[in-house]
Amino acid sequence: MLATLLTVALVVQDQTPLRATAQETATKQAVLFQGEWLEVRGERQGFLQVYDHRRERPGYVREHQVRVYTLDEASVPQLQAVVGFLKDTPGAEALGIGYTAALLRAAPASQVGPELFDAMGTFAERLARRASVRRSLDETLGGHLEVASSYGVKFTSIEQEDRTRLCYDGEAFRRVLALGGTAQARLRAALALTRPDCVDPALGPVERQALNAWRASVLEQVDTSQLPTWLSNRLHLRRAEVYATLAYQWSRRGEARKGAEASERSVRELARVLRTELADEDRSAYAAAAVRVGASRWASEPVPEKPSSGAFLELSPGKPGETCVRLKEAKDLLREQCTYGLVWPASIRRSPQGTVVSVAVQLLEGWTELWVFHRESDGWKQDVLSPAATEPNLGYVELAGYTPDGSRLLVAREALVEGRVKPLFQVLKRETLLPEVSAERPQDSGTFQRWSSAEWRGGTVALR
Amino acid sequence: MNVKEKLSEVPKKLSEVLRQSVFLTRAAAGSVVSKARWFIYTPRGRRVAVGLTTVGLVALAASSPPVCMVEPGQVGIRVNLLSGNPTELREGWALLVPHVHRLHLYSLKDQIFRPDRSTQANGPAPFQSVEGLSLGVEISVRYALDPARVATLASSMPEDVGREIIEPVIDGVMRRHFAQHTVREIFSTHRMQIQKAITEEIAPLMAADGVILRSVTLGNVDLPSQYRAGLESLLAEGLNAEKMRYTLELKDKRVKESELDAEADKVRREKAAEAAGNEEVIAAKAKAEAMRHILPFKEKEIEQRRLEAEAAKVSRLTHATAESEARQIEAEGESVARRKLAEADAYRVEVTGKAASEQLARDADLISRNPLLIQKTLADKLSDKIQVIIAPPQAGGFIAGNLLGQPTSTGYASGAAPKSQSDLSARAEPSQSEGSEYQEE
Repeated sequence: MLATLLTVALVVQDQTPLRATAQETATKQAVLFQGEWLEVRGERQGFLQVYDHRRERPGYVREHQVRVYTLDEASVPQLQAVVGFLKDTPGAEALGIGYTAALLRAAPASQVGPELFDAMGTFAERLARRASVRRSLDETLGGHLEVASSYGVKFTSIEQEDRTRLCYDGEAFRRVLALGGTAQARLRAALALTRPDCVDPALGPVERQALNAWRASVLEQVDTSQLPTWLSNRLHLRRAEVYATLAYQWSRRGEARKGAEASERSVRELARVLRTELADEDRSAYAAAAVRVGASRWASEPVPEKPSSGAFLELSPGKPGETCVRLKEAKDLLREQCTYGLVWPASIRRSPQGTVVSVAVQLLEGWTELWVFHRESDGWKQDVLSPAATEPNLGYVELAGYTPDGSRLLVAREALVEGRVKPLFQVLKRETLLPEVSAERPQDSGTFQRWSSAEWRGGTVALR
Repeated sequence: MNVKEKLSEVPKKLSEVLRQSVFLTRAAAGSVVSKARWFIYTPRGRRVAVGLTTVGLVALAASSPPVCMVEPGQVGIRVNLLSGNPTELREGWALLVPHVHRLHLYSLKDQIFRPDRSTQANGPAPFQSVEGLSLGVEISVRYALDPARVATLASSMPEDVGREIIEPVIDGVMRRHFAQHTVREIFSTHRMQIQKAITEEIAPLMAADGVILRSVTLGNVDLPSQYRAGLESLLAEGLNAEKMRYTLELKDKRVKESELDAEADKVRREKAAEAAGNEEVIAAKAKAEAMRHILPFKEKEIEQRRLEAEAAKVSRLTHATAESEARQIEAEGESVARRKLAEADAYRVEVTGKAASEQLARDADLISRNPLLIQKTLADKLSDKIQVIIAPPQAGGFIAGNLLGQPTSTGYASGAAPKSQSDLSARAEPSQSEGSEYQEE
């Protein structure tokens, strides 16, 4: 339809009335929003006679409420200037989409490059964010979304935490990645396409893994060498998060080598984030990515040697998807516990006295528990330390060492509690595993600071 | 001149010719005899005769050499012309007496004969098919002479074996065979059978003539142009049909392959779905397990909170008790303090009242002694606030007579004096009395 037009009027004001005749008192045919386009057919008494193809009706609009362009090469510089201005103007996303569509139509094929699709994607992405704000009083939002949809911009809605989130499907960003574009445009595209909050929570493990593999491939298409540090930090964070998830998923499917590679990559990407250059808005993402990496970092750690004497843990497959952890001493089976989680053999640790044996068990993508087997007067007991007493979502707990007498365990916990990542460095009594000392920083607890093991300090991401 | 006259002149001319010929013969004989005598009896004549004889012998040797070469792969049959006996000669030199011996050389190598008369459909001797159509066939006959029988058959064996022996044989056999088949069969379908049948038939015939048949090959079959076009289109149709058959077979195979693929895909998808289902189940179980592990913590947390709440309750109770006691003590202290204050106040009021009453008594005494003191005091009090007072003149009354409760009809001068000092003091200082009332409230 657009291809047959020569002169279009782009509506620039919200709630512009389309009147039946060229009079202010005439009946309203429709209410137009920013960015809508109309075919210009004439002019009368300060009104433009137009035809609205979307609603299939003719009408009149005030001249000052629209901008008229001829869709040929002569209009390209004007349209480009407006698109450039609107690109960073919040609230004018629908108008920006309208202008970009007009520019795509008017510009010759040689001038249609990735920057146009970058603009289109930026507008759509911002509109989706605007529509996903919790308490919005924006009355024009519905109109703007309809305008965007009329230009073929698709949004998907995702049910999350009792509310609906609107996500852009990323068509324009895919084109940016295919066509090239500047490093920053590619980064914007990759980040928008791999947003974690736009992953449908209803996806099954198989689809989720395929999606994560695709996300990793998209993130690999951006070259960080040409980006400023604060922007490349974002890319490293996203990569760390995706690879940490992939590490769990590959390991879950029995592909230990791929899992180890992904885990190593996630740790490396997290290490490449320069904290001093981290933008304020990225700090929560940094903490969340660190927790994810911490939850699955055992995938790439070397497996310790089996002790020559004393109690040790043996892993064996149980029912489909189940791993059984057996605590043995010589040939005697002391305890057995099976789990549907992923037991990391690299995380098996024993206290110097041999009275405590612990192992990390990852039950979800970002949720790793610590299983503690401890010998008491009436035999061996097994306890589970969870990252936090909340809904299992994001968190990990890891053993940081023992006090020299073996009566206390040092653990580091990090979990997402009420939307904030909360670290805890605790000293637990061996018998009850109840915290004796809790601190938000390791240096706030003298015991922790003194006895945490060098091995833990070298490998953990909690001390970042 | 008529015929009779001509006939009468013939005998005359014949006799004249005869006379001339006899004369010439005699002259020639005379010259030969004289030449012979010259050769024999004169030295020069003998030398010339010897020379001529030598030249004659050399010419004879050159024209029919006495020695001949039999090449390898050949066999020579030397026939004595006087006795008629043949002799077989193998490779090497052979002696031939001129005009006595005659040598026939035969090659024992394989030879190929290709008759060219019947290669074209419009040639001199084309073959005929069962439909009566002319067709040309290129035939190659590979043969060799039987070395064992060459000597015996040499007398009867022609020089050109191919043309003299083979061509007639194959011509007859082939014509018969081709006449039994259709062009289509000759051209494409029965070619091999025909070739085989011909070979089998020709071989014994040629063996009888001392020729060993190696093979018969049918080459290009030349058809009449119209027929060729028709046949080609027919063959093309056939080919198409064949192609279609193969295409259908291929499609059939593809369909089967697709079916198998679909089946495999179905199984794969079923397996994948099953695996995905299993993975989902495992993930759900893992999540439930995590939840199960958290519950004790929650319980512990709740218990701890309960204990904390109890501790807080006890603490608050103790605190409240202490506070209430403290307040009680404070209240008691305060009541005592208030009582003391009240007593002090009462004492103060009493003392003040006493002092005031004494003061009033003193004032009353003073006023009773000096009645104009009231006016003076009033005027003093008003003097700084009122500069001009415009009021209707009250006949004989004081300007502020109302305030003082004087009757309007009588002037101050004629009015009675205040009844008592207490009245006067109460009216002169209304604010003071009001103030005391307020204080008491």
